[in-house]
Amino acid sequence: MQLDILGYQCKKCQTISYPYRTLCRKCGHDAFDPVPLPKKGKLLTFTQLFTLPGDFEVNDITLGIVELENGVRMTAQLKIDAPKMGMAVQGKVEVVRQAGYDKCRGMVFYPR
Amino acid sequence: MREVYVAGIGITSFTRLEYPLVEIAAYPAMMALKESGLRKIDHLYAANMGGGRINGQTGLASAVVDNLGLTPAGAETIENGPASGASALKEGFMAVASGMHDVVLVTGAERMRAVNNLEATDFVATLTHPYAEYIYGVTLPSLAGMFTRLHMDRYKVTPRHLAMVAVKNHGNAMFNPFAHLHQPITLEGILDSEDAATNNPVVADPLRFFDCCPVSDGAACLILSTAEVARKTGKPMVRLSGVGQATDTLCVHERDNPLELPAVRGAAAQSLKMAGKKPSDVDVAELHDAFTILEIVESEECGFFKKGEGHLALAKGETGLKGRLPINTSGGLKAKGHPVGATGVGQAHEIVLQLRGEAGERQVKGAKTGFTVNFGGFGNNVVSLCFTREK
Amino acid sequence: MAVDLEKLLRPVDNPALPFPPKCMTLASGEIMVVRQVGREEIPNILPHIEPLIHVERDYYDIVAARLYAELLGFYRHRVQDEYVLVAQIDGELTAVVNGRRVDSKVGMSYHTLTLRRGLRIGSHAFASKMEYHMEIMKQEAVLVVAESPIGFRRWMIEYELEKRFEVPHELGGVPTYALTQALYQKARGKLIVGRRPVPVKLLAKAEAAILPPSDPPRPPMDMLAATRSMSDPTGSVLISRRADELRAPVPAKKGARHA
Repeated sequence: MQLDILGYQCKKCQTISYPYRTLCRKCGHDAFDPVPLPKKGKLLTFTQLFTLPGDFEVNDITLGIVELENGVRMTAQLKIDAPKMGMAVQGKVEVVRQAGYDKCRGMVFYPR
Repeated sequence: MREVYVAGIGITSFTRLEYPLVEIAAYPAMMALKESGLRKIDHLYAANMGGGRINGQTGLASAVVDNLGLTPAGAETIENGPASGASALKEGFMAVASGMHDVVLVTGAERMRAVNNLEATDFVATLTHPYAEYIYGVTLPSLAGMFTRLHMDRYKVTPRHLAMVAVKNHGNAMFNPFAHLHQPITLEGILDSEDAATNNPVVADPLRFFDCCPVSDGAACLILSTAEVARKTGKPMVRLSGVGQATDTLCVHERDNPLELPAVRGAAAQSLKMAGKKPSDVDVAELHDAFTILEIVESEECGFFKKGEGHLALAKGETGLKGRLPINTSGGLKAKGHPVGATGVGQAHEIVLQLRGEAGERQVKGAKTGFTVNFGGFGNNVVSLCFTREK
Repeated sequence: MAVDLEKLLRPVDNPALPFPPKCMTLASGEIMVVRQVGREEIPNILPHIEPLIHVERDYYDIVAARLYAELLGFYRHRVQDEYVLVAQIDGELTAVVNGRRVDSKVGMSYHTLTLRRGLRIGSHAFASKMEYHMEIMKQEAVLVVAESPIGFRRWMIEYELEKRFEVPHELGGVPTYALTQALYQKARGKLIVGRRPVPVKLLAKAEAAILPPSDPPRPPMDMLAATRSMSDPTGSVLISRRADELRAPVPAKKGARHA
């Protein structure tokens, strides 16, 4: 099954918001079309994080902000050994956190 | 608008306090009431972020106003993340300036050490966007880490600059009996010695342990009043002369320029404008250095230094106690401590001490204008205050 | 007769290499010495551990109580192959760690107690203990358990220890984890610090006397003391009250509440 993260395209000014917002940040319009966000992008910045909330059973995770092909940016987990700013990355929707009995899915980026 | 003055101040140690949240909030209020000689107030604002979640205490203001025997004065709890303190002061300012109340007591309090640091980190992380940030494991240090990497890349900020902020603020805190960390650290110990990498481990690469503020309990209080009431206290007259606030996108990735903090710029400009001051008029500033990089970037956004030059001014010692513009004389969040809801009031407390000339060994000589920046979330809700000493 | 009985009761220690003292620079710029102590120094350490038995925060009470018993067991010859390392700054006691050799291949880590906080002293002390097992005694594995959530996160997750739940640990039935040579070598660069030999003067200062900790953890003020004293499980309330009468009051931290 192909899983996507959705962006929300304003029906008036075509700006894509991610995450969802009730009114468009640019034009204030209130109707959006959900659109799957592209999976390819460029890594803007990243960090290897060691202070995790208690429900993570790993020592550290790597997080980054990625600029997708259509210019929308997203914060996501990275599974990249030696990330570099500006590198090309490929995303995949996976389980990113187990919150109690619930699995949270989100984007994970790999080197492209 | 009426002019608003500080009639009394009080503070607890920022450390681990094993008392109920209500008593922590009431203690500095008691000090401030004693100092000002006031026995009646019109309204009380209690700033607090985590009482409901961490301490099982909601409606803090109602409990505090009763604990202090100040009923039937009005009371409200103000929550604006880590900027709750400055927000409550802003509300107090508006109440007095508008003519609605003559005497308003603002107390900020937090008791975060009631839980272990993993839970405290998770609690603060709930400030982030629930499904675009939080579920990925984003905590505030990670946002600061990514922000730092951009600055290191663009403006050549180095780990040494960050360590210098920590060393400076730990040094200032040695003169502040209420600070959380009375621990002199050295560049040698956290950066240069061969053991430094282990002493100062990575928290959110490139940020390290000594780049991050501690988790603290604590409370601080300011009583705001009209000039008439303040004059009767016999203390030097300090006026809350400017208030500014600005917001930005909740998600950090949605910011147009991820290198900038436009909310800081907006809030700082507003408060300085209201006070009729320029950045160069400021004699002493308390900036929100939850992470060392923030002190550097905020000093630029407030207009004290040019963009990309804050770290150079720091390296020259301009922000030290004896420098041109001493920043975080109290030790800042880095060493004074960061009890989230109390932080904004704690910053104002330090500025009032400095303007009154009561700051002891860390006194900035002849300080007339003081300034604070209090950050809620990662730069998405910023409150800035300006204080001036009057005759 | 009594002498012979004591002989029977005393385990005989197997020969082992001593831990060569080392020193390291802390964040404060101070230099800390970690060294092994023998039985003769235990009486100089116990008085600094005893007050922590009544610090009911951050698991100080349970760790101090158990460590006290282990040190006493060592001193009175009731534990076989135990060793104790101490960390000192200018002679001041800052951490105590101990453990035991199960046999030539396997070690058993007991406790880590830090008496000055915020400088990662506990981390250095624990790492020294692992270094002793792995590099000096060249053992294959050290069995470890955690008694606090922070300890669990720091050791089990940071070192990525192996599960050995089938092996009981001497501290009780808590799940046992093992640090193996392979895991140790992986974590070594990040965790093991220090230089040898320790400058003669520094070592002499450390060996001259074990000085009391300057800012040890103190018991929290107990808001419910009045109600708890009826059924005070550890006797802390009564003892702290008695201590107040017996000793000069502890000087309050500058600016502390109720100063």
